[in-house]
Amino acid sequence: MTDRNDDDYLAGPVPEPDAEPSAAERAHAKTFAELVDKTLAGRMPAAMSADDRALVEVATVIRAASGEVELPVARRRAVVEDALRQAVGGAGAATTAGAIVTLPRRRWAPWAVAGASSLVAAAALAVLWLRAPRVAEEVAPPPPEVRATPASWRSRPADPLVGRIQRDHAGDAATRIDTIFADRLDGYRERRLVGGKP
Amino acid sequence: MKYVSIVFGAIALAALAMLAACAADREPAPMPQQSTTRVAEPTDVIDQRLMLALSQAKNLHHKAKIYISDGNVAAATASVREILSLEFPAGAPEAEDVRNDARALLGKLLVGQGDLDEAMHVVQEGIAGSQRKSFFVANLYTVEGEIHEARASKLPAGDPHVVDEKHAAIEAFDRSNQIDVELQKQLVEHQ
Repeated sequence: MTDRNDDDYLAGPVPEPDAEPSAAERAHAKTFAELVDKTLAGRMPAAMSADDRALVEVATVIRAASGEVELPVARRRAVVEDALRQAVGGAGAATTAGAIVTLPRRRWAPWAVAGASSLVAAAALAVLWLRAPRVAEEVAPPPPEVRATPASWRSRPADPLVGRIQRDHAGDAATRIDTIFADRLDGYRERRLVGGKP
Repeated sequence: MKYVSIVFGAIALAALAMLAACAADREPAPMPQQSTTRVAEPTDVIDQRLMLALSQAKNLHHKAKIYISDGNVAAATASVREILSLEFPAGAPEAEDVRNDARALLGKLLVGQGDLDEAMHVVQEGIAGSQRKSFFVANLYTVEGEIHEARASKLPAGDPHVVDEKHAAIEAFDRSNQIDVELQKQLVEHQ
């Protein structure tokens, strides 16, 4: 047997697994069990030794890790109602359980993509429409201005040129044909030089 | 929601592709041609054929004039007759004027030769074939009146045809004057 100090179970030597517990150990275990039961029942004593507090905290952690911790009914109901109130847009009540953390929503992303695509499509169609060729403007060139043929270029009666033929000059056809020929030659030359026609 | 985005994205890509295709295929708009003033070219313009006919008529008249100055009336008459057979462009008003003027001269030459019937035939043929009133037609009536005068003067005194020829001469001169006045008015109105 090793030297044992049952009062110092934290710093003292660890007993053998098969060693019989001493009376002091039994009494201490009973006292600690009662303390743990009170703690779980919500009636943790205000004052306890540092060793007992450390042990109670370890016991609490072990119990919480086992998943068998349940909140009291009143406490559980308060937490649920607070969560529902936040879900419908109300302000959550101050609770020790903490506010429900809402993840940032990403619903705007698809709409942003769709909107941008629509804008690009609309811009492309607008550019196409604005740049559409004006068929009437491009196909049909303006017709050249057509000017009436000058009278001097045309074949026409010789009356204005010759005038009234006096009886004394009835047979003077040679003089008249000279006049007619000279006048028509002027018109013919003008048409050739100005109009560019043969 | 994801499908909606995909559909809109596809539409946008298609529009961009169409835009790029159109931009690549588009040719630069042709520059508008400078308008040029063009003179209408009717069929009655003075052309080489008209000038050639007028030139031939002119030379034949001068040729006849020379013959006349030499006293060769027969050769002069032949030269003037050639004018009647000249080819003018179809419908040229100068053709009728030149031929009527040649007929007037030919009639006077024939009167000088004493061939009154042929002279009258040449003149009346010209009057009948004229398409419009002109100073040249009026001149033909003048020559016709002279022919009637010549006929009346050649008839024996007391011949009943003398009066008829004189009346015909007066009518021809009146007709000539009537045409002259009418044309003169038209020319004044058009000026």
